[in-house]
Amino acid sequence: MPQPLNSKDQSLFRQVVRHFEMKQYKKGIKTAEQVLRKNPTHGDTQAMKALNMSQIGQSEEAFALAKEALRNDMKSHITWHVYGLLYRQEKNYEEAIKAYRFALRLEPESQPIQRDLALLQMQMRDYQGYIQSRSAMLQARPGFRQNWTALAIAHHLAGDFEEAEKVLTTYEDTLKGTTPPVADMENSEAILYKNSIIAESGNLERALEHLEAVGYRCTDVLAVMEMKADYLLRLDRKAEAEAAYTALLERNPDNSIYYNGLILAKAIPETDHKALKALYDEWVQKNPRCDAARRIPLDFLEGEEFKQAADAYLQRMLKKGVPSLFVNIKHLYTNPTKREVVQELVESYVSQASSESNGSAESKGENEFLSCTYYFLAQHYNYHLSRNLAKAMENVDKAIEQSPKAVEYQMTKARIWKHYGNSAKAAEEMEKARLLDEKDRHINTKAAKYALRNNENEKGLDLMSKFTRNETVGGTLGDLHEMQCTWFLTEDAEAFLRQKKLGLALKRFHSVYNIFDTWQEDQFDFHSFSLRKGMIRAYVDMVRWEDRLREHPFYTRIALGAVKAHLLLHDQPDLVHGPMPSGANGLDSTDENERKKALKKAKKEQQRLEKIESDKREARKAAAANAKSVDGETKKEDPDPLGNTLVQTQDPLKDVMKFLTPLLEFGTKNIEAQCLGFEVYLRKNKHLLAVKCLSAAHAIDPSNPTLHLQLLRFRKALDNLSEPLPEQAAEAVNAEFEKLLPKSQKLEEWNESYLSSNKGIVAHVQAALSGRHLLKPESKLQCEKELLATLDAPEITIDEAVIAIDLLNKWGSDKTAYAEKASKKWPESSVFQLN
Amino acid sequence: MVDIVPLSSYPSYIDLLPSIQTCNITNLPENYFLKYYLYHALTWPQLSFVAVVRPRSGYKASTGPGGAGAAGDVSGEYPKVVGYVLAKMEEEPTDGKQHGHITSLSVMRTHRRLGIAERLMRMSQRAMAESHRAHFVSLHVRVSNVAALRLYRDTLGFEVEKVESGYYADGEDAYAMHLNLQNMWLDWKAIEKRDRENNKENGEGDDENVDEGDEVGELGKKDAEKMIRVKVGRGLGVGDLVEKNESQ
Repeated sequence: MPQPLNSKDQSLFRQVVRHFEMKQYKKGIKTAEQVLRKNPTHGDTQAMKALNMSQIGQSEEAFALAKEALRNDMKSHITWHVYGLLYRQEKNYEEAIKAYRFALRLEPESQPIQRDLALLQMQMRDYQGYIQSRSAMLQARPGFRQNWTALAIAHHLAGDFEEAEKVLTTYEDTLKGTTPPVADMENSEAILYKNSIIAESGNLERALEHLEAVGYRCTDVLAVMEMKADYLLRLDRKAEAEAAYTALLERNPDNSIYYNGLILAKAIPETDHKALKALYDEWVQKNPRCDAARRIPLDFLEGEEFKQAADAYLQRMLKKGVPSLFVNIKHLYTNPTKREVVQELVESYVSQASSESNGSAESKGENEFLSCTYYFLAQHYNYHLSRNLAKAMENVDKAIEQSPKAVEYQMTKARIWKHYGNSAKAAEEMEKARLLDEKDRHINTKAAKYALRNNENEKGLDLMSKFTRNETVGGTLGDLHEMQCTWFLTEDAEAFLRQKKLGLALKRFHSVYNIFDTWQEDQFDFHSFSLRKGMIRAYVDMVRWEDRLREHPFYTRIALGAVKAHLLLHDQPDLVHGPMPSGANGLDSTDENERKKALKKAKKEQQRLEKIESDKREARKAAAANAKSVDGETKKEDPDPLGNTLVQTQDPLKDVMKFLTPLLEFGTKNIEAQCLGFEVYLRKNKHLLAVKCLSAAHAIDPSNPTLHLQLLRFRKALDNLSEPLPEQAAEAVNAEFEKLLPKSQKLEEWNESYLSSNKGIVAHVQAALSGRHLLKPESKLQCEKELLATLDAPEITIDEAVIAIDLLNKWGSDKTAYAEKASKKWPESSVFQLN
Repeated sequence: MVDIVPLSSYPSYIDLLPSIQTCNITNLPENYFLKYYLYHALTWPQLSFVAVVRPRSGYKASTGPGGAGAAGDVSGEYPKVVGYVLAKMEEEPTDGKQHGHITSLSVMRTHRRLGIAERLMRMSQRAMAESHRAHFVSLHVRVSNVAALRLYRDTLGFEVEKVESGYYADGEDAYAMHLNLQNMWLDWKAIEKRDRENNKENGEGDDENVDEGDEVGELGKKDAEKMIRVKVGRGLGVGDLVEKNESQ
């Protein structure tokens, strides 16, 4: 039971609270201690001391003290509130909400507790709880518009459009006809917010009517125009929609969506190229410098019309010396005819130009035209749909000869080497490009990326350091983490994964994962901030985006990599000690002596790296002893820079789930994600989840080669279960799997028919051969022979040949013949050198 | 093919933020964490714009909440971002005049000379004038950045206000530039006139004073709010966040 404080201590206690509010945490602690000396079990004081402590980094001690405070005084809203605040700091939101609820029960009128509870409910998307909290807050202070808006948001996000609109209208009615000034942005945004709710509820007629009535005085002019155009188009009010999209294009002729809207409004059929071209020409007339209206017609024009338009477009851009011409054109290449027309046209410019100049003194403009044209052709022949790397190299060399200082040209040369399958040469050429303009970060970025693609992690980081501060304890890598440089961390992780340095790979994958966590946490402050600012539409859009944050391709990419790393670690536990060499006979080498030798070597290397890392740390500590970061925060040293704790996990298949779960949730259309999900669940003996992944993959592409092999493997796995599945599970698994690969199907026959119906498609042939090898191990020689023969397929790519080498590894086959033949086919490549 | 779209309009394009951040850190030495971009997008949603590569098969139509975006909806498509302008209003202008500021502008090297930067700037400038009654827009540019200087001065009409020596982390000087925007202001008098006409139609007199108390209270509240330092930023207040970037 709490003992009352005497009046002196009471005033000291109030001081503690004040100190906390003024962020004078140390003073707060001192004053609290003064009170506690005489009242050692005063819960509220203990709690306030704990709260102050938590602000200066003593979170563990703070937690212990807060618990003690609670034991001493269970009936105090302060001890509960503080307890909740500490949980909130630890991001344990469920527990925090519980504590706030207790506090609120003890002190139902407390605004701060109510507000803290509401913010967490929003963060946790507990919309029903949020509606309750916001209703209470509105009742307590109905004079504030933001309380009304907040309740409307709660109803809106909970899906109750009608109630949301009603709340907003009720507030508007309290204004009793006094229109807030035009410059009142909060009002303007609240009105547009209400309009968007009406539209979302599906009542477009009313939304449009409302917008017509109030839109003229809204400050976000462009948004009003966009909303109006969209409503009109959806309501099929064509003439007005036409006017609305015309108005939008007059503001911004560089947005293809507006042209789409205009064309839909004018009901011009897709096939009426003449009318479409005329429409775009009109906008070229109005905006001679606008690219979109000139470029878009190339998408739909055909035949001679296409040729004429392409000729005019290409010549104009080449004469202007626009270096980004190719990236603007390459999308046309999915159409082979257009691809050829463009090639013919640009090749003809070269022959014309060189025959005209005829060795005489050339003007500067002609020179630029020529080098731009060579540059275009270099990119053209480097592009996967029109690839001829020898011609690409020839053209880029000519372009470089004309303008040796052009960074872009040199960059393209590096890219050509990349496509030759020679990452070392590519990195070298990109470094040359970087040296042409050392002050430009874009080319520096490319050079770092190419170093990483060549598995030179340190070189990559060193290049990055040219544009980071490098002052804090974490050095360049610390800066890149702080600035959330996801691309670098991802490329770095993938490079480590390629080298089978799994500790570091996992370390980087986790870094990006944590950045996504930070991005999710970032929204918290805006739950209150945005209500004050009044920009409600943007806020609601943000909330919805946060709900699908991990749908972003950046997340998909690191999650795929992390799952692969964990699978590798599960399948080859030796990799915990670092990369193991693979002999010519593949990874499955059964020679135990050799394995032990390799293991010893790997462990030694691991120790060496740890030593280097700890030396580095000492050196940094010494250097950074005086240099605190600019914002005064002392950065904590990473206790595990090599990712040892991550790689030394007892259960990689458990750790992988945090990456896999969002990947599968948002990757329902990503076949690679589903196939990897299968691999994880199969190893975990979760057959039902495994077959669900197969079904999802099947729905995306039933003939996918990875899926094909997985179906075979799953049938085999079901046939060879060490103990039968529980009856219910077996029933469900079989029913689902029967739809994908019926039990009656003879597997070998099925596999051979897949092979014969996919002849010439290298990936499919590889999968079928793997299938045959799996079903009939004695067919190994025949499989190897047929795999070797795929090198004669005209479409085979270097990447596919690299996969074949992996397959031979898995089969425990000799890779020499394949590697030699591949080397001959791609003499410039470096990936087929066996060591 | 590049499209210039608003960062947060209707439908929303806000899911492009991570890609915008990557575009920034790929091209420029001055970088920010994502929350700083969010802070711009949620404080001045009208002012920032993005340049994206149109997907090969165009955008999907109308899958947003309630089917917004019948002519094309970028959200959930994650097209490649090749440029952006991140802009704001000066929060506490020293001369009391509302004005905008370009926090960051960049276009990928692979997409230069297509007029992207110019279009991004013009869109942002117009929004500053129309939505926020900005008197002018200001920005900083490296004295060595000839291409940017050409865009701002020759194409857009900015004037050099002064040279700020050692503005950048590496010691380089900056031109502080500005451009008057009042020529793009809306005719607010006309809007207010329409307000009055509407009120008359509705039988509501302008001279009714019943709510004056409320209104003053409302405005007073707003002034008070200005003084609040809102906590945004990884443990930092807005004030700390405002000019926070990696190189300064």
